[in-house]
Amino acid sequence: MPAAQLVSSGIERIINQLLKLDASSVLLLQKLSNKQLSVDIHELPWIFKFSFSDQVDVLTVMPDEELLSDCHLALSLSTLQKLKDTSQITRLIQNGELVLEGDVAIAQQFSQLITELDIDWEELLSKYTGDLLAHNTFRLGKKLIHSAKAKANRLATTLGDAAIEEKRIAAPAILVVDFCDQVNELRSATDRLSAKISRLESQSTLSPNKQSN
Amino acid sequence: MSNSQVPQSEHKTKDADSSNIPPIPQEPTGTGEDDSQTHFGFKQVDKTKKASMVADVFHSVAAKYDIMNDMMSMGIHRLWKRFTIDCSGVRAGHKVLDLAGGTGDLAAKFSKIVGEKGQVVLADINNAMLKVGRDKLRNKGVVGNLEYVQANAEMLPFPDNYFDVITIAFGLRNVTDKDKALASMYRVLKPGGRLLVLEFSKPQSEMLSKAYDLYSFHLLPKMGKLVANDSESYQYLAESIRMHPDQETLKAMMESVGFEQTTFHNLTGGIVALHRGFKF
Ligand SMILES: C[S@@+](CC[C@H](N)C(=O)[O-])C[C@H]1O[C@@H](n2cnc3c(N)ncnc32)[C@H](O)[C@@H]1O
Repeated sequence: MPAAQLVSSGIERIINQLLKLDASSVLLLQKLSNKQLSVDIHELPWIFKFSFSDQVDVLTVMPDEELLSDCHLALSLSTLQKLKDTSQITRLIQNGELVLEGDVAIAQQFSQLITELDIDWEELLSKYTGDLLAHNTFRLGKKLIHSAKAKANRLATTLGDAAIEEKRIAAPAILVVDFCDQVNELRSATDRLSAKISRLESQSTLSPNKQSN
Repeated sequence: MSNSQVPQSEHKTKDADSSNIPPIPQEPTGTGEDDSQTHFGFKQVDKTKKASMVADVFHSVAAKYDIMNDMMSMGIHRLWKRFTIDCSGVRAGHKVLDLAGGTGDLAAKFSKIVGEKGQVVLADINNAMLKVGRDKLRNKGVVGNLEYVQANAEMLPFPDNYFDVITIAFGLRNVTDKDKALASMYRVLKPGGRLLVLEFSKPQSEMLSKAYDLYSFHLLPKMGKLVANDSESYQYLAESIRMHPDQETLKAMMESVGFEQTTFHNLTGGIVALHRGFKF
């Protein structure tokens, strides 16, 4: 299952839905038309490329692919939220929170667009990555549970209790991840126990050997 | 159906200015193999008849094609297609051929991405599929840089070294002479360009393979009957999936017509694979 595509299609769907509801965003979108903006969000394993026309298409930049876009941003999720204030861009670059390469006007227009649409990135992304983690966890088992655990911690701090109560969609995914954490803890406890047992076993088989020598 | 028999006026229907595509060199049509047999699903049929039999299948499924696609794959085909686009390296200004493009899912997205300076050609052997595609894409507001061309993948009516990207999604298995089709794609691809073949393939685990057989041979034709009132066409689809070359075979076929750096990526346990090859 292409996980990155699941997330990018989710982001794309939400952005385009919001665009349809907001007539004044059309002008902002027109300014960006035919431009491409790549965004590397530190918390996510993928780089997304936003391609603007009369809609927004969200592509995933494959690891073996050259990063060819008109403007590139690298930032953390919390900085993405701050980007809503266009006047902040320079300050964010100066204090190193935002890396910007290419046409700064595109970043500004994008920032205006997401302000206009009032996208809550943290909620949007945690919803999709949350479901995704739950999905992957079941599929790929132990290895993923470990990374899920780390990500679940991040998600938990992002979401907060209120979000879990209010946004019922997000809750199940989190609960699943939490459940997997518990399974994981149980598993390492069992691993410890079985290690202990085999140690005891080898000791008990070793001692008679020693005696027979 | 041979491409050269279609009059030029029927042969191309498009929204955009036809001057975008330069004059077409004709590929030789006769193969000298008219007496030999090929498979149509599990049946053996005359090679010459396969194309028209495939055409019949897609004629009869055209109207319900999109609904069936969503049902059959439980919507996952959308993600497979997204993955294909992500692997295409497509950029603004590119020329893209969506071959066997049917109702135009890939073409629609490409058209937005390549923008006004780019060009997308949606090509299919079947007029009915193209028509459904055109109506759908017009409703989506996709016009301008998209052209519709009725063409057989085995003898593409485009100049050499023309396209930056060629995709063929769930189309190659329907083509009678796949080697000839791959060679034709290689010819019209620009040096530096790439071909992406998205197609059903060989599930990687025995269990998945069994479950999948059960699904495609038993459930699929029933669903086809229920939704499209056409179990035979879906029986054909199931059989054609099984007859299609597996991952390594298709990779070798691509390499033998000249593609380089050829790789494949299994999706959903190998039920589907995306093959990619470059022309240098
Ligand atoms: C299963 S549909 C795939 C449509 C679309 N690419 C998609 O993924 O939804 C297969 C398409 O291949 C077309 N086709 C079959 N044989 C062909 C050939 N020799 N040349 C071009 N198109 C062909 C059919 O008409 C049909 O539209």
